[in-house]
Amino acid sequence: MAESDASASKYVTLASCDGFEFVVLREAVLVSSAIKGMLDPKSQFTEARTGRCYFEEINGIVLEKIVEYCQYWYKYKESVNVPDMDVPVELCLELLQAADFLGLDRKASPSTQTHHYYLFSKTPEEGFIALTYNDVGPT
Amino acid sequence: MITGRGGPSGRGRIRPPRRQLATQPGSAKNDFEQYWAKLREALHDIHTHNAGNLSFEQLYRFAYKIVLMKSGALLYDRVTDFEGKWFAEQVMPPMSALITKNLVSITLDGAPGISVVERRALGEKFLRFVRTSWENHNMAMNMNADILMYLDRGYGEDNRRPPIYATTIGLFRDNILRKNLGATGSNYDVFDILNATIIDQINMEREGDVIDKALLRSCVSMLEGLFETDAEVELERLYLTTFEPFFIRTSHDFYRIECERLLREADARSWLRQTQRRLAEEAARCQTTISPLSEQKIASVVDEELIMKHLDEFLQLEGSGIRAMIDNDRLEDLKILFSLVSRVDDKVASLRNALSLRVMELGNEIEQNLNNTDFSIAQDVGSEETPGDGEKAKPKTLNATAQLTAAAIKWVDDVLQLKDKFDQLWVACFDRKAVIETALTRSFSAFINRFDRASEYVSLFIDDNLKRGLRGKTEAEVDIILDKAITLLKHLNEKDKFESYYQKHLARRLLHGKSESEEIEQEMISRMKRELGNNFTQKFEGMFRDMSTSRETTEQYRNHVRGLGEAEDSRVDLNISVLAGNNWPKEIMGRSTGLSDETKTKATYPPEIQSLQKSFFEFYTKNRNGRVLTWVGSAGSADVKCIFPKVPGKATGPLSKDRRYEINVSTYGMIVLMLFNTTKDDEWLSFEDIQATTNIPQPDLINVLTSLSVIKQFRILVKESQTKSAAKPGDRFMFNSEFVSKAIKIKIPSVSAANRVENDEERKKTDEKNLETRKHVADSVIVRIMKQRKELTHTQLVNEVIQVLSSRFKPDMSLIKGQIESLIFREYLERDELPDGTTADKYKYVA
Repeated sequence: MAESDASASKYVTLASCDGFEFVVLREAVLVSSAIKGMLDPKSQFTEARTGRCYFEEINGIVLEKIVEYCQYWYKYKESVNVPDMDVPVELCLELLQAADFLGLDRKASPSTQTHHYYLFSKTPEEGFIALTYNDVGPT
Repeated sequence: MITGRGGPSGRGRIRPPRRQLATQPGSAKNDFEQYWAKLREALHDIHTHNAGNLSFEQLYRFAYKIVLMKSGALLYDRVTDFEGKWFAEQVMPPMSALITKNLVSITLDGAPGISVVERRALGEKFLRFVRTSWENHNMAMNMNADILMYLDRGYGEDNRRPPIYATTIGLFRDNILRKNLGATGSNYDVFDILNATIIDQINMEREGDVIDKALLRSCVSMLEGLFETDAEVELERLYLTTFEPFFIRTSHDFYRIECERLLREADARSWLRQTQRRLAEEAARCQTTISPLSEQKIASVVDEELIMKHLDEFLQLEGSGIRAMIDNDRLEDLKILFSLVSRVDDKVASLRNALSLRVMELGNEIEQNLNNTDFSIAQDVGSEETPGDGEKAKPKTLNATAQLTAAAIKWVDDVLQLKDKFDQLWVACFDRKAVIETALTRSFSAFINRFDRASEYVSLFIDDNLKRGLRGKTEAEVDIILDKAITLLKHLNEKDKFESYYQKHLARRLLHGKSESEEIEQEMISRMKRELGNNFTQKFEGMFRDMSTSRETTEQYRNHVRGLGEAEDSRVDLNISVLAGNNWPKEIMGRSTGLSDETKTKATYPPEIQSLQKSFFEFYTKNRNGRVLTWVGSAGSADVKCIFPKVPGKATGPLSKDRRYEINVSTYGMIVLMLFNTTKDDEWLSFEDIQATTNIPQPDLINVLTSLSVIKQFRILVKESQTKSAAKPGDRFMFNSEFVSKAIKIKIPSVSAANRVENDEERKKTDEKNLETRKHVADSVIVRIMKQRKELTHTQLVNEVIQVLSSRFKPDMSLIKGQIESLIFREYLERDELPDGTTADKYKYVA
């Protein structure tokens, strides 16, 4: 893909650490604030110039689900009463981590030390995976 | 706790995420330094526009990991430090270089001596640098914020630190704008210079120079994007807190000076236009150069400095102020003026007062002109009386009274013109604003009513139009004239006075058949009725009623006489007007019935007429028992067929034949002429003889004899002494057997029959009568009120009386008080007494 029209193309490529590549609608992946930042044509980072985002710490299985969500979001973003997306239980934790990294979450209660992450949300109140954890660990 | 929505097949092992982060104690510190080193390099590259080879994902991941390592605070501070240093090392030095002593002194200290071009160049260079460094910084900070996104999410928000973007963008404010310029030997910071430079550029534009608007706009939008603190409170934009007050303050200065200059130039026209242009300019400037946020504020600066402060002085300017605008119909000026004044004062008080004042002045001018005209007429009268001044006699034989009438009509015309003019201004320039209309109406009323002949003149104006003015006019034109009359009438305070004049004038029109069209007369009355109420027109309608009954009565009487079959020759045709005494003005009903205690004189009618009167009286009282008819000789007229026998000794010319004329004279004139039926050819009758025989009141007799003997065309009697002046006691009269006229029918003009302006004496009489009438009216009003209320305090009573009376005239306090006293005296009212015997401030009605 030539550099000059990389930023103009309707599609972008998302690459996983284990070599899978997904060509996705640009508009769909903009749901992620991190990917949006990467592709911002004003900043001219490598990703923006090439139209290819490489994720060093996300594997193909998880990235596929992420891509699926992006498409899902894009398809239904202006509808109501949308069907649920299927999230395999065994992928939950990894997906949570990736969604957090990519900024696919909505934080429900920023004022408390308890975090409610509703990831892959249809609305801020409703998520496909919801996780509540207490902020523990070294401070 | 994990809530999965994986469906019913919730089996399968949940795989824990791979933790690549080695979290052995001690290594965290190293990892951080390692990541930070990468990030710092990236920040540097971003500033130097070398971001092309950086991987966003990588940098983002570094920041992400630092945050996960709970080292967000450290990263936050490091970034802030880095940017601060960047400013100090990379941005400030060139900036300081641009802020030369010159720039400081011209922008802030107002030092003269540098040409505009140079000043502009210096300023623009500085502003350009500010803009460039701001744009660079802003761009870089946006990119920073993007890669440090996770820092905000994972650290900043939880620890209530402002977003990293806000903090780093704020650094521009702290490190650049607020940087003190101690180094250049002045006590200003960059912000001062920036503001002053922008203002300097704006002032250049105000003076007519061309400046780089886009440059200013971007500097201003920088200030709009920066806040006092990193909390970014909406109202604490630097634009609002620092620039705008400065801008407003300097604008005040600018426009104060401008307004003073305009005032010195003393041309209200250019002031109006300049102000209007300035307002438009400032509005446009807010859109294109600075911020729309200031549009209101700067407009009010212009309003205050250019409009409000010296408004009255501009209005009073000789030659271009409001007076000149009105007099020269400078509609556009007035329009602008109105729009400007409306901006600062919704009630437009200054404009309103100025207009009122001008209306009053112009009103006074009309009166003054009139007085001058009156004066010249008096002169003419004087010259007419000097004999041998024949060539000065005007072709139109306007006598003094007719000229007075002309003056009245001129006055009305002038007033109406003035009113028209202001009405037009009101529509064209003042947006039909109600307060202005009220003010205009009020001042019109004021000057109209200050002129004590107003009521009479208005009535005369109507009279003149109804008599001859309406001939050949279309309905629409007539309508306009009636409208005008009503307009004036509405302005009159003393409606009772108008009523009595109108009554008098109408009576003359009706009795002498002078009215042009009865339809229009009726229309006039019905309009008055609409405007002023039923009461007002009662008498007028009564007069019309009398006239139409009289026509019927005349017809009936004629039929009656025909039935009697009297000899044709001796029949005198009678056309009678039976007038009900109340409806008609007293002077029409005969002078003797006036207020003065003159004995009731009764003219002696010739026997022919007497029998006629008797016959009619019998006929009239047949159906109407107990009525008394009084013959009013002064109000009637008679057609007399006259035969002038041929003059002996004249062979040719008109005198050689018998001449027959039909002469229309007043009733008294007829009586006088009848006397000469019985005289011999050369017999003279003295004034006193005539008076004794006919018993006609002296003033009427003078009128009659004058009209019959003085004017050449109508000289049926010869007067001795033969002067042009009026007949007087001591003169002798003889039948003019040599009378010749081209017309067969001759109408002898009655001296008193024309409606005209009263002379001073007459007016004094009218005023006295009026006062008398007012007393009666006031009496009846007081009694009516007290009858209803039984008890009232003095103030209450007076207030109510004034309220009732004001529709007819402006009551005088002393008049009301006097009438109350008189009513107490006549025992209609009494003063209430307190229990202790002293009188209370209260009246009681005595039943």
